[in-house]
Amino acid sequence: MIGNTNRGSKKSLDFDLNLTSFIDLLSTCTCFLLITAVWIQIGTVEIKQSHGTEAAAPAKDSMDLDLVFKGPSEVLINLKKSGKQVKSFEVKSDSTATMLTKLNETLKSQVIDTKFVIATATVTPKTGVNYGQMVSALDVLRKNKIVNIGVLTERGK
Amino acid sequence: MRLNQSLVTANQFEKHLVNRRRRKNNGAKSIGFALMLTSMVDMFSMLVIFLLQTFSGSPEILVLKGMELPNSITPSVVKEATVLAIAKDGNLYLDQKLVGSVANVTKKPDELLNKLNLIKKQWNATHDTPFSGEMNFQADKDVDSTSVSMVMAILTSSQFQAIQLAVVGQQ
Repeated sequence: MIGNTNRGSKKSLDFDLNLTSFIDLLSTCTCFLLITAVWIQIGTVEIKQSHGTEAAAPAKDSMDLDLVFKGPSEVLINLKKSGKQVKSFEVKSDSTATMLTKLNETLKSQVIDTKFVIATATVTPKTGVNYGQMVSALDVLRKNKIVNIGVLTERGK
Repeated sequence: MRLNQSLVTANQFEKHLVNRRRRKNNGAKSIGFALMLTSMVDMFSMLVIFLLQTFSGSPEILVLKGMELPNSITPSVVKEATVLAIAKDGNLYLDQKLVGSVANVTKKPDELLNKLNLIKKQWNATHDTPFSGEMNFQADKDVDSTSVSMVMAILTSSQFQAIQLAVVGQQ
């Protein structure tokens, strides 16, 4: 760090580094960053509970998707156009994890990779289905680029 | 498991530094110790780089004690808003303050509605733009989904329609 390599009239390119202030700076930085560090990454899954006049007008050739929970490992996908049911798929499995995998595959093959454009998706919860399972289903929808999601509330039924 | 001795024992340069210090003190055993400045600066630098990489500028929200948030693989960034939480025991908290149990609140939502209206009024008084209706919603992952939807119905009726469900991000 300390080097004097002056030879003749040439100006040295080396410089002296004040170690004390350097260590002070590093310690302060470390303390600040340790205090402000976030160890658990909390994010959000946004849902839009629009209804009535506040709901966005459906685009032409777009469909609405209803994801109805029948149980913790059973869901029903309803595709609706102008309020009328067009198609329906049932996804059932032994566990929630495998059901979610099947749901993802069904959405990809039957909805996303086809000509259907999904405008909105509504998730209908059911007693016995916990919040964690509901969020996992929302996650599957978001993974398939369906972002305009709402949860059917008791008053909406 | 045995440590490789060559890794923990002092090398020639370190021994030289210790011996030089001892010689300075006329052979007396030093009370202090030789601080390896190079290693220390290296360690500090690595720590600072690691912490800077993990530094997050997004706002943080308080999570209720004992609450287990659901995991998500598609999380978005947290926005600052009022926090409504349903704990594992079924109690409802608005900004960390107990409102009551979900069963009671859904039967008689007046108290919660009043508090939500107050928040809305305060927001309108401090902002020129129309009410955004944003709400951070936290619930334990084991809470029944119908309880969540009933609370959401109260939020929707109070014009809180952009609900952000708090999740633990998984990359």
